[in-house]
Amino acid sequence: MEFKDYYSALGVDRTASDDEVRKAYRKLARKYHPDVSKEADAEQRMRDINEAKDVLGDKEKRVAYDALADRVARGGHPEGGFQPPPGWDQGFEFHRGPRQGPADHADFSEFFSSLFGEAERRDAARQNYKARGEDHHAAIEIALEDALNGAEREITLRAQTVDAQGHPQWQNRTLSVKIPPGVHPGQFIRLAGQGMPGHGGEPPGDLYLEVRIAPHKLYRVEERDLYMTLPVTPTEAALGTQVQVPTPTGGVVEVTVPRNARNGLKLRLKGRGLAGKTPGDLYLLLDIALPPADSDDARKAYEQLAQATASFHPRQHLGV
Amino acid sequence: MVNFTLTTATAISASQPLAASELAHAVGADTAWVVQLVEVGILQIETAETQPERWQFSSEDLQHALEVRRLERDFGVGLDAAALILDLEHEVRRLKALLQAHGLR
Repeated sequence: MEFKDYYSALGVDRTASDDEVRKAYRKLARKYHPDVSKEADAEQRMRDINEAKDVLGDKEKRVAYDALADRVARGGHPEGGFQPPPGWDQGFEFHRGPRQGPADHADFSEFFSSLFGEAERRDAARQNYKARGEDHHAAIEIALEDALNGAEREITLRAQTVDAQGHPQWQNRTLSVKIPPGVHPGQFIRLAGQGMPGHGGEPPGDLYLEVRIAPHKLYRVEERDLYMTLPVTPTEAALGTQVQVPTPTGGVVEVTVPRNARNGLKLRLKGRGLAGKTPGDLYLLLDIALPPADSDDARKAYEQLAQATASFHPRQHLGV
Repeated sequence: MVNFTLTTATAISASQPLAASELAHAVGADTAWVVQLVEVGILQIETAETQPERWQFSSEDLQHALEVRRLERDFGVGLDAAALILDLEHEVRRLKALLQAHGLR
């Protein structure tokens, strides 16, 4: 385990005021927001700065962390990585803030857990705190076919548990999850009792898995609708035709391409998308694929087409 | 490593919605906070049901509630500002999806 420098995570000095810590955090939280960040590791960076702010933004934790950092600086890093010295937090108290509990910390590092996890539980126990365990959140990426038909998937989660002595510890859990058929991206699957342990004998929380659909070679998923590019020849687009199209459930349907179909035309197959109260649709986006003029016959055919459509001026609107 | 085999897995949907108390617990809040989200229009109640105990919430509602919690935690925003930010975030995502659909992203 590495000793984490929370000050460098937020880019502030050790002498930074509470206000400076808060400002630095908000600036970075904006930078790594998933809707605006282009950084590949934005999610991890967001977790790191949340963890740093949780400690440096809390007077009690910050004082204890500073004292520990001083001890580490004096003693250097021991072989095999950092371990908090026994009783490192004697003389310090940590309190659970409002709306702040282990669920908020479930994504934090082992370093954080080893320092503050046990102290927070001790504090909860001192207060005779009784409550159902916090719910935990994670994401699961599945294939489109699995979303449609249901599947059983194994996922491994790194979760905080409590040992026989009541000490929190990190443990890898492999769960075999039966995914119900008909799930869509953004939907949550709830696994009862697989969240954080309860306090004071109360039951554990639930685990919520957010469904994500893996990129598919044919279909693109948008909420409950599916989109597929349907290549057609210029002849098929001009004269109209019937084409066979694979459906995501494994079937094949015959689709009519209308005459004079333009490139990008959207054909809708109602109710052929993902299931739901209102089932999604399957959209076919027409993509006119030009046969290459790489033979005498093909070139001749294009020349004949040019002669037959001589009055067609696709660039007339340019005025030149 | 500990292995579990699960039998209880339910998809949050119209037939298996979340109650207000379950939604609150899922995001580490209380029911009064969920009531506030309904009042500012971040969460929509389908019927004119006035009793929070009888409200039902979807996966999308849970997603919205989680996003508001993050905005509160990260930036300390009020609920009205969170509602506006949420609308703008969703509009950005919709437009990005549109660009992607036209091969422009």
